[in-house]
Amino acid sequence: MSTNQKTFGVLAEFANPADLMDAATEVRKAGFKDFDTYSPFPIHGMDDAMGLKPSKLGWIVLVHGILGLLGGIALQSWAMNVAYPMHIGGMPFLNFPAFVPVAFALVILLASFGAFMGMFFLNRLPRLHQPIFNSDRISKATDDGFFLCIEATDPAFSEMKTAEFLKSIGATEIEVIPE
Amino acid sequence: MSMDHHHTTLTDRLTFPEENKIATAFFGAGFVGIALSLIGLFVNTEQFFFSYLTSFTFIASLSLGALFFVMLQHITRSGWSVVLRRIPETMSFQLLWLGLLFVPILFGLEFLYEWTRPELIATDELIQHKQPFLNIPFFIVRNVIYFSVWAFLAYKLYRNSVTMDREANHALDRQQRVISAPGILVFAFTVAFASFDWLMSMDSGWFSTMFGIYYFAMSFQSVLAVVLLLVIYLLGKGLLTSTINRSHIHDMAALLFGFSVFYAYIAFSQFLLIYYANFPKEILWFYYRFEGSWIFLAYLFLIGRFVIPFVLLLGKKAKTNHKLLVGVSLWIVLLQFLEMYWIVMPILHKGAITFHWLDLTLLVAFFGVSAGLFFRQFARHSMVPKNDPLLAESLNKH
Repeated sequence: MSTNQKTFGVLAEFANPADLMDAATEVRKAGFKDFDTYSPFPIHGMDDAMGLKPSKLGWIVLVHGILGLLGGIALQSWAMNVAYPMHIGGMPFLNFPAFVPVAFALVILLASFGAFMGMFFLNRLPRLHQPIFNSDRISKATDDGFFLCIEATDPAFSEMKTAEFLKSIGATEIEVIPE
Repeated sequence: MSMDHHHTTLTDRLTFPEENKIATAFFGAGFVGIALSLIGLFVNTEQFFFSYLTSFTFIASLSLGALFFVMLQHITRSGWSVVLRRIPETMSFQLLWLGLLFVPILFGLEFLYEWTRPELIATDELIQHKQPFLNIPFFIVRNVIYFSVWAFLAYKLYRNSVTMDREANHALDRQQRVISAPGILVFAFTVAFASFDWLMSMDSGWFSTMFGIYYFAMSFQSVLAVVLLLVIYLLGKGLLTSTINRSHIHDMAALLFGFSVFYAYIAFSQFLLIYYANFPKEILWFYYRFEGSWIFLAYLFLIGRFVIPFVLLLGKKAKTNHKLLVGVSLWIVLLQFLEMYWIVMPILHKGAITFHWLDLTLLVAFFGVSAGLFFRQFARHSMVPKNDPLLAESLNKH
């Protein structure tokens, strides 16, 4: 790699899930914020080890669900009262019990949209290029590799020191990944 | 994954402490309730039977919900629930004598069920038409079948479970599933027909094909609340504190949340279909239950059994907050009683909620005796199925 190229981060490989979890704890304690772990399967307790906060996705879904509820009621109230009032079986125009199924369905629809698009938004997807794939080794993360990558955007990042630090906490391989 | 937190053996004391007098206290309350209610039987016989049926269907719903919970764990071979399964097992064990508590109702049939009154049988065409099903001998035969089936299922499942405490006989574990699979099917039919007989036939002209599942939905929501209350009670007494963990509480609360939605879905569907069609014969049941002050109870169930638990239990943290769970659970159990009251009483007191002291004394009688029997039975065996093959999985749940 040429020296004038920007660095994406330092990738470290660990022997097993337990080592990766311990490493994540060490990295968090050392004050790093911009780092991620890569493993072939979800590891219980990794969120806590990395110090990840609970996802905001639930709130996004809640807001969309409430919008669906209000929208569903507003739509039907307007349609059945203003736009096209119709007598149905002697029921009142503002017939809230009858509005429930449609309002319910709109809650589900908008909450699902919220969940789907919120997930894309929070994960910054879709993405044309993810520099982590500049490493050949990373493909092992879908098979038997356990990786941790500290990214160059972290204020505490320094190529040499970070690599040494990762080695000191038990990394079996270290690789500097170009942007 | 750190392995040092994992454990496969029980470290808590497993027997309910003998010095705990809660069973005696409940029995005491129950007998006071019985004594007062017996006076009421002579003061106002008709009111007595209506209040009796209210409390009976309330207590029955809890035992039946518990039996369903146990069978559900067995047929799905659930590991997570093993540490708390003895609680619903002991609750369902009450089905053994529930049939005896039904016997007094047979003496009040003419008060409760209009289809037993000779003058109506002679004149009412609809009741004549329903006579082949709604007649006293067949009613008794059906109820004998229900109580025998439930007593058999509850007894077998409980007995096998406590036998496994003594001898680690895993053939019995297989038998639990063999019983539960057809058991849950038979349960569905018997509970549906029992609710038709006990409650729906009070308005002999009315019918709702959803009534069985409506009664079941109420029962299951309530039993989840009761199990949560009992678990939190035990933890509060310092019992099973390293056996039942946050995750068990969380999942019970998640089930309570889910089945609050299920209750609302079923109760509302039954209402909406009948309301929207608005046929005279079908709407009458709701008409009497929405008349006058009864409508307030209907709104209370919508808000109290669905909206409040939904909003309060939606968050993740709420599902492990003991104080909140105790509050919500007590509230749901109270509303379960009130909903039985709302189903039964408008027939006697048309147009207005009319409280009678017998409603309270019979509730105390039923609840006291039932809770006393529960704690007495609970103290007899280990509080945890300690040889269950899936116990380790349950202990390590996170």
